[in-house]
Amino acid sequence: MAVKAITEYKFPSRSRQELYGDAMLVHMWWTNNPWFCAAACFPMPKAMTWGDFWNAAVVPFFSEDPDWSDSTEFTFTLHGKSLDPKPEDTLEGLGIWHKSVIGMTSK
Amino acid sequence: MTIAPRAPRKLSMKDRYSALTRDLDWTPSYVTEDELYPYTKFEGITIHDWSKWEDPFRLTVDAYTKYQAEKDKRLYAVLDGFAQSQGHLSLTDASYLNAMKLFIQGVSPLEYQAHRHFAYLGRHLNGPGPRFASLCQSLDEIRHIQTEVHTLSNYNKYYDGFHSFPHMHDRVWYLSVPKSFFDDAVSSGPFEFLIAIGFSFEYLLTNLLFVPFMSGASFNGDLPTMTFGFSAQSDESRHMTLGLEAIKFLLEQDEKNVPIVQHWIDKWFWRGYRVTALIAQMLDYMLPRKVMSWKEAFNLYFEQQMLGGLFVDLAYYGITPPKFVEQAAEEKEILSHQVYWTLYQFSHAAAFSTSIPTDEHMEWLSANYAKFDELYRPLWEKEKRNVAAGGRHFARGLPELCTVCQIPMLFTEPGDPTTLCQRWSTFEDEHFNFCSDGCKNIFDHEPEKYVQAWLPVHQIFQGNCGGATIPDVLAWYKMTPNDGGEYLGSRDNKNWLAWHDMAEKTGGN
Amino acid sequence: MTTSATIPAGERPVGVDIQESEQNRAVIEALEADNENSSVIHMPGLVRVTSPGRLVLRRETVEERLGREWETHEFQLAIISYFGHIKEWDDDEIVIAWDH
Repeated sequence: MAVKAITEYKFPSRSRQELYGDAMLVHMWWTNNPWFCAAACFPMPKAMTWGDFWNAAVVPFFSEDPDWSDSTEFTFTLHGKSLDPKPEDTLEGLGIWHKSVIGMTSK
Repeated sequence: MTIAPRAPRKLSMKDRYSALTRDLDWTPSYVTEDELYPYTKFEGITIHDWSKWEDPFRLTVDAYTKYQAEKDKRLYAVLDGFAQSQGHLSLTDASYLNAMKLFIQGVSPLEYQAHRHFAYLGRHLNGPGPRFASLCQSLDEIRHIQTEVHTLSNYNKYYDGFHSFPHMHDRVWYLSVPKSFFDDAVSSGPFEFLIAIGFSFEYLLTNLLFVPFMSGASFNGDLPTMTFGFSAQSDESRHMTLGLEAIKFLLEQDEKNVPIVQHWIDKWFWRGYRVTALIAQMLDYMLPRKVMSWKEAFNLYFEQQMLGGLFVDLAYYGITPPKFVEQAAEEKEILSHQVYWTLYQFSHAAAFSTSIPTDEHMEWLSANYAKFDELYRPLWEKEKRNVAAGGRHFARGLPELCTVCQIPMLFTEPGDPTTLCQRWSTFEDEHFNFCSDGCKNIFDHEPEKYVQAWLPVHQIFQGNCGGATIPDVLAWYKMTPNDGGEYLGSRDNKNWLAWHDMAEKTGGN
Repeated sequence: MTTSATIPAGERPVGVDIQESEQNRAVIEALEADNENSSVIHMPGLVRVTSPGRLVLRRETVEERLGREWETHEFQLAIISYFGHIKEWDDDEIVIAWDH
């Protein structure tokens, strides 16, 4: 389907990756914790390592839960496929793409 | 009131209306009809005979101005009386005004948008009947924004959060929900706009939007809002009629219109329904004295009146109830709780405040909602412990947004209220996220439109909203530290207590 | 979920919400008088009158109760909302009903 319009209708996406330079938007969704009403959205360099992402973005956001513990273990998914990130992997290297949603499930 | 006795008239109401709408119309001679009305073909709608459009109100200019003037006189008498008697002190609580802050920030600017677009229809529809009805509606809508601003400006003298509402409407994250809804409608063709706003919003959903607000005002001592609400609603019944006549007219003119109209009903029911999520939490959480639960309101105004009444009528034309309506019906048990929990944790970036429901309030929620004790009470109990330990649940970042409705992706899977619903589509190699099947369906029909969505979270990260920190963004929103956050201990709360404490100390004989 | 697919137009309720005021009491009484199966519910600030299939408001009935002349356009000052179709609105009466 296409938009019915009086003239040609073609406009660029207002959230395309190039607008974020070397970064991309990454969503983190704590699948089994209703304390957080929705997944969080972070703008992160594509070349950032998982370890840095975890410490710089994920922990500061999710440790707002009073029951947060640094020792909690998580399993990860990326749009239904399991993800096994190592601290030194880059986000891009893990196959994470702009605006994708990473699920994290606490054990 | 003084309404002059009926003078003997030469023409009946029907004849006067016919004289206005038909006899003042003419057939163009030096341009073609298509040149005069260039926007009524491109949507694929076929109209054979514009004269078949009926306006049951048969309104003429003299009747319109006479009754609108009377409505305004009555309203302004109430506004004056309320202001002169310090009526704001007789509200149930200052926290009640959070509902009105949301109203003026989120809804009133839509009235202005409606005013502009109905003026456009008043010029561009081929038939004189619908043109005149659109002109009247355009005038009504400017009256609504004006009377709403005048009504609520009295509270702006005493309470935070009311200032800068038009500025906020264009910028603030939660206000992009109603704003993008209306932007979507005004950037459609004229027939889609009529189904979007005239039918889906004004007829299907208006009762859910306005009647709870106004009954809530009545129950919570807010006489001016109740009066402007009822004054606006009295115009609304004409707007509902315009919407209903529009849909019947399109369906009766040509069978080919039916599938086009059906898709618009599907789309605009869901778009409008998502906007009413803000009303759901207002009814169940923001009103200190409750009127009815969202669940009850949805059942009465939507399921009984629309599914049980209107859609049975429309079945005659081959129209079915909107797609995904069963998901909306199922959500009535959980919607308000999910939305308020979200506003609660983001109210540090809002121009209204929130607070943990009191024990009494939670009892009411529990009595009205079977799932409250299982799913939502534990969250509030945990937050109580958090607050007791010196915390307050404010999110330390920004949420994932739905590309279509622009609401944080807080909604859950149909049939599973414990799992967030995640849907997505890929368009031209780009990934887009949606909160529901309804929003995904809308995107997939017109991806070229929704790729342009101005999503507040994304715009902040692109650096378009005043800066990278929350204070930068709030300054760009024109919000002050007193506008949002926790209600208890807020300036509104302190002032309220001080004003009433003073009355206790100095009152009586 | 409520569906009434089998209920014919003559039985599915139609209704109107009216502002509760001294002026409008005559209108509400007229509605009750002219619609024998109607029912009236009071809600905060408003009165809801419903009736199976059809609701009629007659000018003469309102005038008898009001003790003055009343034109049907005046109903615009009273109405908050309605459900059903406005089938007729002329000098003498207003009719709300379903079509199909």
